[in-house]
Amino acid sequence: MAEALVVRNLSKRFGGLRAVQNLSFSINEGETVALIGPNGAGKTTSFHLITGFHRPDEGSVTAFGREIVGLRPHDICAHGLARTFQVARPFGGMTVLANVMTGAFLRDKRPEVACAKAYEAIEFVGLSAKAHTPARDLTTIDQRRLEMARALATEPRLLLLDEVMAGLNPSEIDQAVALVGKLSKRGLTIIIVEHVMRAIMAVARHIVVLDHGQKIAEGGPKEIVKNQEVVRAYLGSGYVHVATAGET
Amino acid sequence: MQRLCSPAFIGLAALAGVLIVLPLVVTSHFAIDICIRILLFAFIGVAWNLMGGYAKQLSLGHAAYFGLGAYTSTIMQIKFGISPWIGMLAGGVVAMLASLPIGAVCFRLRGPYFAIATIATAQVLMLLFLKFRDFAWGAEGTTIPNLGNTPLMMQFEAKAPYYYIALAMLALGLAITYRIERSWMGFYLVAIGEDEDAAEAVGVNAPQVKRNIYMISAFLTALAGTFYVQYIYFIDPNTAFNFNISVEAALVSIVGGIGTLWGPVIGTVLLEVTSALLQSWLGSGLGGVQLTVYSLILISVILWRPTGLLGVFTDAYKWIVRAPPAREAAIDG
Repeated sequence: MAEALVVRNLSKRFGGLRAVQNLSFSINEGETVALIGPNGAGKTTSFHLITGFHRPDEGSVTAFGREIVGLRPHDICAHGLARTFQVARPFGGMTVLANVMTGAFLRDKRPEVACAKAYEAIEFVGLSAKAHTPARDLTTIDQRRLEMARALATEPRLLLLDEVMAGLNPSEIDQAVALVGKLSKRGLTIIIVEHVMRAIMAVARHIVVLDHGQKIAEGGPKEIVKNQEVVRAYLGSGYVHVATAGET
Repeated sequence: MQRLCSPAFIGLAALAGVLIVLPLVVTSHFAIDICIRILLFAFIGVAWNLMGGYAKQLSLGHAAYFGLGAYTSTIMQIKFGISPWIGMLAGGVVAMLASLPIGAVCFRLRGPYFAIATIATAQVLMLLFLKFRDFAWGAEGTTIPNLGNTPLMMQFEAKAPYYYIALAMLALGLAITYRIERSWMGFYLVAIGEDEDAAEAVGVNAPQVKRNIYMISAFLTALAGTFYVQYIYFIDPNTAFNFNISVEAALVSIVGGIGTLWGPVIGTVLLEVTSALLQSWLGSGLGGVQLTVYSLILISVILWRPTGLLGVFTDAYKWIVRAPPAREAAIDG
């Protein structure tokens, strides 16, 4: 299978803090990969480095065969990498529809085409009933849905989801997990940063674990939960793993 | 056909009709002068609003483009005898070109820092025109030679033609705003105003979009500059690059409703009328009292309606149209 994303020796320092050190991993097309680790491990920084919001000190990122380090975020988006933010950042004053249309304009500047594509994306994430609601009036999960719809409207090949489940209640997490599964079925390659282990086990076939900016483990969900290093650094010794993707 | 019968279209046609007939009915020079001022500042507000309102790039330096437009056409007219009609367009082009380096520097900054940097650009231009006497008459300025009634040189005996020019400019500004608001560019501008990083993340080339809208805004503002000096037959750096022009452009939009099509128009009508009425009622009394009252009105508008007065009208409309169900809901609750 072709590689969607190859990250090689990526490093970023903020003053004395080494946020990301020598990070390397790769993702095949159509795969869903989770990036996990304790707070401050460098997950979100890695997202910023891949999507062009920060410039790495060293290393390279190749997406669909093209080096993307040094490109501006909008160029990277045009190349097919769409992201969401850790804290949802909808355009508050705009309606849900206008938010998503803004994303859709990337591929087609005609308003009627963008509008049709936006409705499609809104329906896909299940926000149709609120298409004309101002984005700032949405609940947390609906804001996350909106961010996903807005990212989808840019017609990405690779989707980077940054903690889309944070702050959701258990039933909402189930909905979000179902949505990520639906995206994956559509053929999208997905990288997901997440703390909710239950969700990760349900969606990811491959997990990369970060700690202090370094990769400490990588592998399938079942190997990861048994990995001593991961248990020590992140999961905690009391962790009992629930059903993994392979078993459900 | 359906579009022609819509209430919005009928309202707009009625408004246009009234505005076109107005100078035929109103003969007072004072009243017509106020109308021209309103149309001119509404137009400057509309030009400012494209960038300052929709994309929330709060420029306080639009006097730079007003002044460049005014000086370009005046220099072309006095030194080369070229009609201000051509000078007006040339001034617009000069302003557009000037907005490129100014934007390149100022757009590196965001929020209040951007506003301060834009103030500086207008001040620097004013100082340049004050210092370089050989080039553009320095601090004394110059009067524009009165050629009598020569429409080709944008000079008229009556006030009505000036009124119609200002009206046409405002109509142009509103038409451009209307088109942009409904296109991808309008969405991109609002997205940048809301959250520039999030806009970049969905593929918006924010620096390019800001540069383009700044050019359009500068071009339109320069047209107003040419018109203004032709109207008052005089130019000096302090008139052309006056800080008040920058403030007024922002103020009418903020008071009327930032980032809306009609906001700057409503803001200008209210501010100019209030200011003119206060001037005539209180101007002869205690010195400065009309300015104090004006400021108090301004403060209360900002406190009471921070999103602009246009909201009052839309709320009133909604209240009238939807009042009965709202009351029922209140009783049910």
